[in-house]
Amino acid sequence: MKTLRRTATALAGGLLIAVSGCELPPVDTVQSGFRGVGMEHVQNPRTLEDSVRAVAQRVPQLASPPEEFGDPAPDGTWENVQVLGHLSESEFNRFKLAMTTWVAAETGEGCNYCHVIEDDGQVNFASDDKYQKRVSRDMISMTQTLNTEYAAHVGEAGVNCWTCHQGQVQPVNRWYFGDRPDPPAAGSMIERPQWERHYLDRNDVRIQSSEALSGDTDNRASLQQTEYTYWLMIQMSESLGVNCTYCHTSARWGDWDESPPQRVTAFRGLDMVRHMNMEYIVPLQDEWPSDRLGPEGDGAKVNCATCHAGAYIPQYGSTASHAVDWPALNQIGVAHGAGETTSAAMEDSDEDEESDSGEVSENP
Amino acid sequence: MAMLSFEQKYRVRGGTIIGGDLFDFWIGPFYVGFFGVLTIFFAALGTALCVYGAAIGEGLASQTWNLWQISIAPPPLEYGLGLAPMTEGGLWQAITVCAIGAFVSWAARQAEISKKLGMGFHVPVAYSVAIAAYITLVVIRPVLMGAWGHGFPYGIISHLDWVSNVGYQYLHFHYNPAHMIAVSFFFVTTFALGLHGSLILSVTNPPKNEPSVKTSEHENTYFRDTLGYSIGAVGIHRLGLFLALNAGIWSAICIVISGPFWTRGWPEWWSWWLNLPIWA
Repeated sequence: MKTLRRTATALAGGLLIAVSGCELPPVDTVQSGFRGVGMEHVQNPRTLEDSVRAVAQRVPQLASPPEEFGDPAPDGTWENVQVLGHLSESEFNRFKLAMTTWVAAETGEGCNYCHVIEDDGQVNFASDDKYQKRVSRDMISMTQTLNTEYAAHVGEAGVNCWTCHQGQVQPVNRWYFGDRPDPPAAGSMIERPQWERHYLDRNDVRIQSSEALSGDTDNRASLQQTEYTYWLMIQMSESLGVNCTYCHTSARWGDWDESPPQRVTAFRGLDMVRHMNMEYIVPLQDEWPSDRLGPEGDGAKVNCATCHAGAYIPQYGSTASHAVDWPALNQIGVAHGAGETTSAAMEDSDEDEESDSGEVSENP
Repeated sequence: MAMLSFEQKYRVRGGTIIGGDLFDFWIGPFYVGFFGVLTIFFAALGTALCVYGAAIGEGLASQTWNLWQISIAPPPLEYGLGLAPMTEGGLWQAITVCAIGAFVSWAARQAEISKKLGMGFHVPVAYSVAIAAYITLVVIRPVLMGAWGHGFPYGIISHLDWVSNVGYQYLHFHYNPAHMIAVSFFFVTTFALGLHGSLILSVTNPPKNEPSVKTSEHENTYFRDTLGYSIGAVGIHRLGLFLALNAGIWSAICIVISGPFWTRGWPEWWSWWLNLPIWA
């Protein structure tokens, strides 16, 4: 009898642990392939609703966009404006104010997070003394590039500073060399996670043989390279909150013909992340103060999670993270009042603005 | 027709569940019974529907008689738990009904024969576990997830595609705790069968210079020498039944929890372990 009771208690305890780790039906499923072959995305609608509600609660209150964005400000309006010369004065101010919320909200410093206050108490908007301002300019330029050259990934809606920053000067999801991987379950076989070079300059993700029994003529990928690819894939899955079959058919991982279209978007995204890191973020290395550096002395870099943060579409498609109403970000900017080069660039900018009302340009 | 020695005990009237004496007869060596008739009916109809489906290329991009490629696919998810048109998964629904009808009838026929033999219901109970695993896959889990489309397709390659894709929906299915238990039971079942089979073959095949087969005392001694314990001639069959049924039961559990009770990757489920207050 005693044994029975003890066994029953142990069983009940075990069951409790098992159940506490579980969710409950009903679930939501989206079919993404031919019926019956298990190409589907399974979601818990309660968890998803909570995430979407959390996004809605975070949305910042900003001035609504004007009916017309106006002509570029006349020469001499500002000093040292290098990438926003295509804006009217009012649109320029609306955008600058938005940035204090998008990026610098957590500091409470407003304009002064980037701009220098002189001894007489006046703000010197033209000064580039603060690294924050120099970095911001690079980031604005980067976002303009994303929205004009990477429509294949960011779509017509585009992205703005809020998409990644969420009111914080450093986006929560960023990476450095030597960081411990998250989640820890991803493995600990690699001391220096070289796989992260996939986000920089490594392009050899394809480690599967293209045909059966190919021997050693076709595939020279090492076990280590396989591990790198696996880590990248798991990181992408975690970043987007999706499973493997969101982008692949598991019978033929590498086959584009049988893959869901999301894989193309993801592929463009990886290309975009490399461009962001190599052209805009890594070159900022010398700008960072020491408290912005990782354990191995490198500055923060972006990956899929930086924007996606666990959502298959950043901020679950919230318009607050779009570039549509922000001419500062949805076209390539020009320098303000810099003589002939500027007027030539201004013409380009005018053309951009005409097309802007319609759509952002295709990825060349 | 000559009877086998045990058939005299088997060929007795009565013990039927439904139909009384109506189908209580034999065709050659085969007992018929009401459930035998039902089994034949469902099996023949289901097979015919499969052949029909193959003939019209149901569930495929184009018709083929390639045995590996033929596939009868369940409806798209949009039909939910309703009936689908015949060429869009309705055939799968009809074949599923036939399959369950044939399997359950066969179990009932096993029960009738058990009654005729005056033995326990071990055989139909054991077989019911396999049926339960199938019903879990094509009825219970689809109902819990809200669409017949979650069932697996009836095709040699296509059902493997289903298994693979469904596994990768949860990133790494080997982290599914019930899958771990099920796989372990499958391995232990085959291991136990290997031990038992080799033992029986060795005691029943004495060397040329030895006169007769060995007895159970020989079997017990062998395992007491090598493992320190012999479960015995009856015990090994009880153990085998326990191991085999648990393999099926935990297989059914591991798939029914994937989706209805867990939507994320299985590796993530183990965060409760990482978060135990002992080390977290």
